[in-house]
Amino acid sequence: MTTMIETAQLTKRFGAKNAVYNLDLNIGEGVFFCFLGPNGAGKTTTIKMLTGLLHATAGKACLGGFDIAKEPVEAKKLLGYVPDHPFLYDKLTGDEFMRFVAGLYQMSEAEYRMRCGELLEMFEIAAVADQLIEDYSHGMRQKLSFASCFLHDPKVVIVDEPWVGLDPKNIRFVKNFLRQKCREEGLTVFMSTHTLAIAEEVADLIGIINNGALKALGSVAEIKALHNRPGSLEDVFLEITQETEEGVLHQVAQPSRTTGTRGS
Amino acid sequence: MSQVWVVILAKLRIARHEVAGVRNESKLKVGVITVAATLLWLGAFFFFRAGFRWIMIFGGRAGAEFNFGDLLMSRLLSILTLTIFLMLIFSNVLVAFSTMYRSREVMYLLQGPIRYDHFFYARFFECVAFSSWALAFLGSPLMLAYGLSTKASLLFYFACVAFFIPLIIVPACIGAVIAMTLVYVFPRLKMPALITLAAFAVGAVFLYIRHVLRGTQLSEDTIVPVFLEATGRAQSWALPSHWMSMGVLAAAKHQMRESLFWFLMLLSTAMVSLLCAGSIAQRIFFPGYSYLAGQDRQRFRPRRRGLLNRIERALAFIPNPHRALTVKDIKLFWRDPTQWSQFVVFFGIMAIYIANLRNTSRNYEDEMWRSWIACLNVGSVTLILATLTSRFVFPLVSLEGRRFWIIGLAPITFRKLVWQKFWLSVVTTSLFTVGLAFLSASMLKLEPVYFWMTVYSVSIANFGLAGLAVGLGALYPNFQEDNPARIVSGLGGTLNLLVSIGYITVVVAAQTFVLQYHAIGRIANPDWFRYALGGAVIAGAAVTLLCVALPMYFGLRNLRDMEY
Repeated sequence: MTTMIETAQLTKRFGAKNAVYNLDLNIGEGVFFCFLGPNGAGKTTTIKMLTGLLHATAGKACLGGFDIAKEPVEAKKLLGYVPDHPFLYDKLTGDEFMRFVAGLYQMSEAEYRMRCGELLEMFEIAAVADQLIEDYSHGMRQKLSFASCFLHDPKVVIVDEPWVGLDPKNIRFVKNFLRQKCREEGLTVFMSTHTLAIAEEVADLIGIINNGALKALGSVAEIKALHNRPGSLEDVFLEITQETEEGVLHQVAQPSRTTGTRGS
Repeated sequence: MSQVWVVILAKLRIARHEVAGVRNESKLKVGVITVAATLLWLGAFFFFRAGFRWIMIFGGRAGAEFNFGDLLMSRLLSILTLTIFLMLIFSNVLVAFSTMYRSREVMYLLQGPIRYDHFFYARFFECVAFSSWALAFLGSPLMLAYGLSTKASLLFYFACVAFFIPLIIVPACIGAVIAMTLVYVFPRLKMPALITLAAFAVGAVFLYIRHVLRGTQLSEDTIVPVFLEATGRAQSWALPSHWMSMGVLAAAKHQMRESLFWFLMLLSTAMVSLLCAGSIAQRIFFPGYSYLAGQDRQRFRPRRRGLLNRIERALAFIPNPHRALTVKDIKLFWRDPTQWSQFVVFFGIMAIYIANLRNTSRNYEDEMWRSWIACLNVGSVTLILATLTSRFVFPLVSLEGRRFWIIGLAPITFRKLVWQKFWLSVVTTSLFTVGLAFLSASMLKLEPVYFWMTVYSVSIANFGLAGLAVGLGALYPNFQEDNPARIVSGLGGTLNLLVSIGYITVVVAAQTFVLQYHAIGRIANPDWFRYALGGAVIAGAAVTLLCVALPMYFGLRNLRDMEY
């Protein structure tokens, strides 16, 4: 299986503090990876390094085999990103924003027209596509940023807590859409979330980070098995993050498990 | 503690943290900005000092029965304070609107148990500080130069400081009340009423400009009485700005009682203005805010229709991603009222300038004066251009701000981004300023050599000033701010304006030197004149190249190294 997201000894220090420390990840094609951790654990810092918005202090991050620091343009061609708070250009309409993104990715007019209409319909914002974004609700902005993310047909999608502002219907839609893309089109999803129930439902591979270090990595079943007693993912998450906060390092999944496999 | 103080103290703490944050900034950056600000202050001081000295000499012998200089100086002070007063009203209308209605904190503060007049006072002091800091910075060298030129007593300087606070509070109150009234009234007006009002406002401005331009068409016999009458209007008893000038002038002459009278007059007016503005805010702020927030916000911009979409289609020849970035920049600019309202002011200045030129050319037959006029014309046009690039081009990179994730994640290099902004600036500003250069040079009936030097200097200035504005905009971006006016008023914006003025000075000085020496016969030999002119052309081009290459290189490097 092709590795789509790879980090090797990825480290980010802010002054004396290690925000992320020696992070090793190998996520294969078509894998839905959920990145969990308490607030301030290093999730967003990791995402920013993966997307090239932050420089790593040490180590490297690759997308589809391209080092994001050395070959950013090639790596970014494969990447789609949905931030938790989508700051968009308020004075553009939804359609104009999509056209702008298509221009950045140098899509042809025909390709743009075909995909834009489809995505706007799919995310239920076609009716407001000619309206200024500043009049959109938070949920509508989030849906527009999802639609724009998929405009250039990315091979890797990174989503940072995507559920903020989405209604239940849209949460279900986005969840199913991402899973379907993973299964049928081999999309690799890297999702940071606090919603453990959704992670449990959709993830092929789960990573738990705390204090900047990866504490556990494996499939949902493997992570659950780390718990002393059989329980939910929430129980395991709390146990792992509690133990590590107290200075007890939890056993991380074996290196052989670091490359995810597509869920059944 | 009152809620007003709670908010003000929180703001002061934020300001303190921001000042403390300077320690984390690059020492080079802080050093450059400190030196530049000091030079600006000193430059302003020496400029005002030279101006005042000239007026004193022009006015006649000191101690004579009638000294025209004394009259001019007092009139000049009244005009300056009135101009500042009116500018403060205008800037406070804009700042009050963004601070009281558009700021992100407004919603947070309003959901708390706070009275609307208290809310107004809490936000008002931020408006005052924001709209008046530049006045303190540029007003201090002015008053110091005035004091030294008139040999004022020490009391004059104390009076300047004491009069400053009430002077800024009165126009701030007027500006805030105008902003609140506009928000309260305008959204309720129907379209025909809005159009009538707009037509009335444009007509009034037009008539006023015509009236002002009347002065340029007067003969030498009538100009002095008209001048005295016009400047006398700045000394109306009803103007708080006049009270200030009377007060500080009295202090300069050690007339304590009179100075105190004017100070108390201004102070009491400031306090009554504050009370009135608070009371008006209690009545109309929230209804206006609520109406504004509850408006039908579904503003549609159908694709394929309208001027902007036509421009987009006309730009189809530009390859992507440059076209996408250019169209986005144009649309964002056009749809932001705070941007184009200032653009309209800029055009007003340009119109006044051109209208004035009609009457200038006929007055100068001597070659030396014609050469001076040609060089001053280049200086004026390039200064207009520098204002344009500092105000509209410098903030372009910063305005990407929190949306940098969109461009930062796209498969384009920062090099493409900054060069797109450079070329966008060069093309759009050239449309106005090269046209203005041709127009002004034709209206001045300049000889071919002056004509083409004007066009050349203005043309290269488009490149140099665009390089400075885009490069320094990338070197000192402010990604936390969405308001272009605030981005420009920051340290980077000030530095850009200073360097731009320095650049213009070099370009204009190079050609002035050659043309003046030729005009007064120092470079009489045609061959030498050609070589000297060639030298001025090459010097202008070399400085321009430097002003493009260096800022663009360092700006680009900064964007690449920056973390988002």
